[in-house]
Amino acid sequence: MRITMIKFITKRILIAIPTLLIIVAFSFSMMRVAPGGPFTNERALPPEIERNIKAAYNLDKPVYEQFYIYIKNLTKGDFGPSFKYKDFSVKELILNGLPVSVTLGLSSIIISLFIGSFLGIIAAINRNTVFDYSVMGVSLVGICVPSFVMAPLLSLFFSLYLGILPTSGWNNGNILNLILPITALSLPQIAVISRMMRASTIEVLNSNFIRTAKSKGLNQSYIIRKHVIRASILPIIEYLAPASAGLMTGSIIIEQIFGLPGIGRYFVVGALQRDYTLVSGVLILYASLLIFLILITDIIRAILDPRVKI
Amino acid sequence: MQLTQKNIKNNNLLLNIHNLNVFFKTPEGISHVVKDANFNLKKGTCLGVVGESGSGKTQTFFSITGLLANNGYVEGEAFFKDTNLITCDDETRRGFLGKSIGFIFQDPMTSLTPHLNIGDQLAEIAIYHKKINKNKALKKAIEVMDIVKLPSNRDIINSYPHELSGGMKQRIMIAISLMCEPDLIIADEPTTALDVTTQAEILNIFNDLKNNFNIGLVLISHNIGVIAETSNEVLVMKDGQILESGETAKVLTKPKNEYTKHLLSCIPPWIGN
Repeated sequence: MRITMIKFITKRILIAIPTLLIIVAFSFSMMRVAPGGPFTNERALPPEIERNIKAAYNLDKPVYEQFYIYIKNLTKGDFGPSFKYKDFSVKELILNGLPVSVTLGLSSIIISLFIGSFLGIIAAINRNTVFDYSVMGVSLVGICVPSFVMAPLLSLFFSLYLGILPTSGWNNGNILNLILPITALSLPQIAVISRMMRASTIEVLNSNFIRTAKSKGLNQSYIIRKHVIRASILPIIEYLAPASAGLMTGSIIIEQIFGLPGIGRYFVVGALQRDYTLVSGVLILYASLLIFLILITDIIRAILDPRVKI
Repeated sequence: MQLTQKNIKNNNLLLNIHNLNVFFKTPEGISHVVKDANFNLKKGTCLGVVGESGSGKTQTFFSITGLLANNGYVEGEAFFKDTNLITCDDETRRGFLGKSIGFIFQDPMTSLTPHLNIGDQLAEIAIYHKKINKNKALKKAIEVMDIVKLPSNRDIINSYPHELSGGMKQRIMIAISLMCEPDLIIADEPTTALDVTTQAEILNIFNDLKNNFNIGLVLISHNIGVIAETSNEVLVMKDGQILESGETAKVLTKPKNEYTKHLLSCIPPWIGN
């Protein structure tokens, strides 16, 4: 088991390298296909200065040579200098923003996993009761209302009307500042996860092996704990990787709304201002995070379900 | 025939069903799937229940063990020893289930929990009902695996359901029902999903249980051959009604009811000679 696991992980990491390379090449060329460049301003620069700047950033060289230099630097862990945030390298910017984004993303995913699956199980057990209908109704709202609508509403209500939580800012990760952004990020995920969990729990509850468990005279809470949850949580585990991708893109908006210094902000600003290296750097980070998360969910799946061969 | 609790005290009587009716609420109205069933079962004997699918034979036994679907309800009396299984509370009924009443289901392929290993599934029932520790329960598990003629080694204990064949899974199901040494085993089409040789082996195990362990056995089947081989008494059911009952040999050789005759005429003539 342990040896196959190590083999599996190494294989997946080896596959990840060409995948990342393709993603880098794609983002690299996409950025350059887009019209304009990092130094295009409303007022044109004098040609000599523009030439000098371009030479400083290797932009005067042919594209394939730029790509070669970029990849060569990447292998050394150098993501290049940011074109727009002078005096900062991309690596510095990412390392500055990462703790914020990771705190936000990780807490959202854990909170939505726990609350979502808990609500789903309770709704499934009490199917067609008031509790079930209210959870499903509220979750429908959670799915339909996008986070960029939910976030301002939350901050309007809790910060301006009630005045109990700050509207925005990071404040060194103070828990009070985190509550609203994490809530806004988690709500849609809680909604989706609770619905999925309800559906899969109902399916498991109707399966033959639960009938067997009932015929053993076991009580309901024991059956739920030992026989139901591990089977019904499998679809949720599979959903975690796409959910994290959703959280990443969601956090770009949420970070803007709540004025948090996370990575999402650099991604948006970088893309708008043609900050080639910054966008590529953030993209590589997002892609590797996603690949890593898919690997983790596969491992969890193999642990939960003995039928999954890895 | 008026039955009171007194004549049920008769030590040999295990199961006494009186005027049992089972209904299902459906969008089209109430459907009456078991109509006024009356029968009883003694220790160490086997009651065969035969009938076509949809005749209510499975629902009769689901209803007395509380395994009916959510839209089903039951009326009548079903005494297991001294307790009326219909009117007692869930707690009491659950106390019998698994401990004194074992249930074996039709489809062994899907009736075991896929993510728990065989040892856990065997042991949990003894741990739950007898409050013994896991080591003792596993020891007991190996004992019952011997009764159902499984190689009683650690390999099977540690394997998962998907690693076993259908016949092995059905033996595990029987082993589970034996873990707490029950007085009654209800086997619902236990051989239907299995090939003929495995069928014969499973039926031999049932005969052993009945004769050596003094267990009362209910064998539900649509296969008259299976019933003939194992049961002492037989019920013939159709559309929720018990059409004929009596000693197996009598019913099968001299059927009184037209439907029973019809059922028997469905057996190809070259079998059973």
